[in-house]
Formats: sequence, C-alpha cells, structure tokens
Amino acid sequence: RMEASCLELALEGERLCKAGDCRAGVSFFEAAVQVGTEDLRTLSAIYSQLGNAYFYLHEYAKALEYHHHDLTLARTIGDLLGEAKASGNLGNTLKVLGNFEEAIVCCQRHLDISRELNDKVGEARALYNLGNVYHSKGKNVANAGTHDPGELPDDVKNALQKAANYYEENLTIVTDLGDRAAQGRAFGNLGNTHYLLGNFRSAVLAHEQRLLIAKEFGDRSAERRAYSNLGNAYIFLGEFETAAEYYRRTLQLARQLKDRAVEAQACYSLGNTYTLLQDYEKAIDYHLKHLVIAQELHDKIGEGRACWSLGNAYTALGNHDQAIHFAERHLEISREVGDRSGELTARLNLSDLQMVLGLSYSTNNSMMAESHVVENSLNGGRPRGRRYSMENMELMKLTPEKVPNWN
Amino acid sequence: SQPLAGGQTAELQSKVVPSKQILHSNNMEMEPETMETKSVTDYFSKLHMGSLVYSCTSKRKNK
Repeated sequence: RMEASCLELALEGERLCKAGDCRAGVSFFEAAVQVGTEDLRTLSAIYSQLGNAYFYLHEYAKALEYHHHDLTLARTIGDLLGEAKASGNLGNTLKVLGNFEEAIVCCQRHLDISRELNDKVGEARALYNLGNVYHSKGKNVANAGTHDPGELPDDVKNALQKAANYYEENLTIVTDLGDRAAQGRAFGNLGNTHYLLGNFRSAVLAHEQRLLIAKEFGDRSAERRAYSNLGNAYIFLGEFETAAEYYRRTLQLARQLKDRAVEAQACYSLGNTYTLLQDYEKAIDYHLKHLVIAQELHDKIGEGRACWSLGNAYTALGNHDQAIHFAERHLEISREVGDRSGELTARLNLSDLQMVLGLSYSTNNSMMAESHVVENSLNGGRPRGRRYSMENMELMKLTPEKVPNWN
Repeated sequence: SQPLAGGQTAELQSKVVPSKQILHSNNMEMEPETMETKSVTDYFSKLHMGSLVYSCTSKRKNK
C-alpha cells in the first residue's frame, strides 16, 4: 500500500535523524515526499523534519523552503499549533540567513499563537527565539564597525536590550516550569548579551549560572562555553589573572573534547591574556600553539593573526630577529588572503623594526614609500612611536557565522 | 639579541599592543537554537497508529 510506504519511509527518516544521521534521514524524507500521501498532517510533519534536518546540515536555503511549505500546509488545514511551530522554525532559519525583520515577524507569530493556546512551553521557546533574533541583529550591526563591547550605537543597544528582556521573560517561565536545560541556554545567551552591552558584572553572573547548570547535566561542551565566556568578561573587567584561569579550563576541556578549532581559539585567547599580563614568554608559547593548529586546519586568517601576535610579543622581548621573521610572515599571509589593512600593518611594523635596528631592509623601496603615504591617510598623520594596531583590520572568527542574505 | 641604544629599545618595547585591539577576536560562544519538532506519529490515534505500525513491522519481517 502506497500510504503505508510513505509513512514507513518517514518513520525511518525520523529514526535516522534522532540517531544523529541527518544526511541519511533527509534521503528517506525526500523519498517519502516522492511517494506522497493524502494525509496533509503527515506531509506537514515530513516537511517540518526536512526543514530541521537541512537546518542542522547548515543548508539554510533548503531549510527555509521546507519550513515555508510546512507553514503553508499548517494554515491550509487550520492546524494552529502546527502553524506556531512552523513559524518558529522559519524565524530561526531567517535569523541565520540575516533576514532579521522577517525573522522577528515569524517568531512573534510563534509567541502570539502560543499565548492564544495557553501553551507555556511554546511561549517560553518563542521568547528564547526572539531573544536570539534580536541578539543576532544587534551583533550584526555592531560587527559592521569595530566596537569594543559597551561602545555601541543606539540601534545596536536597543536591539541588544530587547534581546536581554526576552531572555529574562523566558527565564521567568522556564524557572516556573523547572526546565533546567532551558534555563542554561537562556543564561548563556543573556550573559553574552550583557557582555556586548558592556555590563560585564551581569555577564559574569549569568555565565556562572550557565556553568552551574552545565555541571549539573555533565554537559562538557556547555561547561567549556561558559569558561570561555567568563574569560572574555573578566578581560574587560581588567581581571586578567582570573581570565587566564578560565581560558586554561577552556583549553583543558577543548583538549578532552578533541576539538582542534576550539583549542586553537583558547590558545589565542591565552596568548592575548598573557600579553596583557606582560608575560611575553607564556604569550609566545600559546601563540605558537595557536599557530601550529591554524596551519593544521588551513586557517590562513588565524595563521596571519598568530604571526602578528608573535611579532608583537618578540618585539616586546627585544628578540628582533624573530620579530622580523613573524612580521614578514604576516605580510606574506596578508597578501595571500588579500587583506589590505593587514598588509599595511605588517609593512609599517617592518619599517619600524628596521628603523630601530638601523637595517636596510630588503623589500623594494617603492612599496615602503607607498606605505608611508597610506599611513598618513589612514591615521590622519598621527605621530609614529607605537606598534601599529589591528584596529582597522577586519578580523574574522575561526568559523565565520555569517551567511549571505537569502532573497 | 644584541643590545641596542637604550632609548631605541625602550621606544620599540613601548609599542607593544595595547589591550583594546587584541580583544576583537574573542569568540563569544552562543547557546544552540531550539527548533520545534513534529512527528508523523503525532496525529494518529493510538489505534490507527498501532495497526499501521503493525503492518509496517510485519511487512519488514517478511522481507
């Protein structure tokens, strides 16, 4: 019988996705769609799960397509709960795609229907999603410029403040419901929102709660996340020793979890923290560890940053041979990845080092001349006399979150 | 490395990165999203579902 066959395929898809094999699950769901079914509720469930599977596989355009099908179907059959769920999923997907305004509309719909149905669990989940959308929106605008946490334009501040309010509302409900896992998620993201707003003490309090809950569940990934976020907050509180302690725990867990990218990030954070503590030997040690992993992962951006950091640390120690070596590597990599401002920074650092060392540098002189011109235009002709900063550089994360806009 | 003129070394050492610029890359770690889930078994009455599942599993056994 056709009917049973579609259901059979869908059930197998569900089983595979539950077991964590989304790729295989997708094949079965798509086969189920091919076979087809008269039952629109079954079809809606298949679309929903296809959307989620594609979401977890980071194929967001396809996730959007299927969640949209699901929403249309739920409305067609007048399934209000189904419509709420589809709206929430669509909202999350639009958020990842950077379409924040539409994401807000969808998540708000999820919230409205949940309240209409007196569904407390759904309401809480919708509030968390809304918090996430506003957080992303704020972060996205903030990333357009390079701001330190706490130094933000008004529209960014408003979005982040809204995010914080939604997380607080969510926390009220999930605390009533006694849902510790949901509390953990809300505390983590609330902490990050406070961090961006520059409320570093509040950030610490939230991340401490997150840490507590992670330990309750024995969730080591969440525990590691909390340590890392605590480290970041303590840096801005100027408590570098405490930050170093948290980053060390991050590193320890990253190694236990065998996550090389995260290990690299922890080493980089530690290198920076020891630089702030003016312990340059330790800084070099960690930046070298970061460099090795960046090379292993073919992360050119990270490699360039490691070289730049190492150049700084060796300069501070007065080890000019090594300083020049890494400044040259930084220049080379910046050229390779087409990072103009990195290239300038590297050139200026090199010319500074030569001046101090009284060396005649081997690079072609016309380039050096060019760099002085650009330097004056970049920095408004500020006086020389300190290392050139990376403030004008576009820094990227090891794993960029941004995806192109979907239209 | 060999000692340089004192003033110059001091000048170069004072050029070491201030705190502000090295922090932009501090990765903030977000919690995962939660997606709403549906299942094909959601909408079936237990009786209806029971017979269907039975037919599925018995078919599978016969393969």
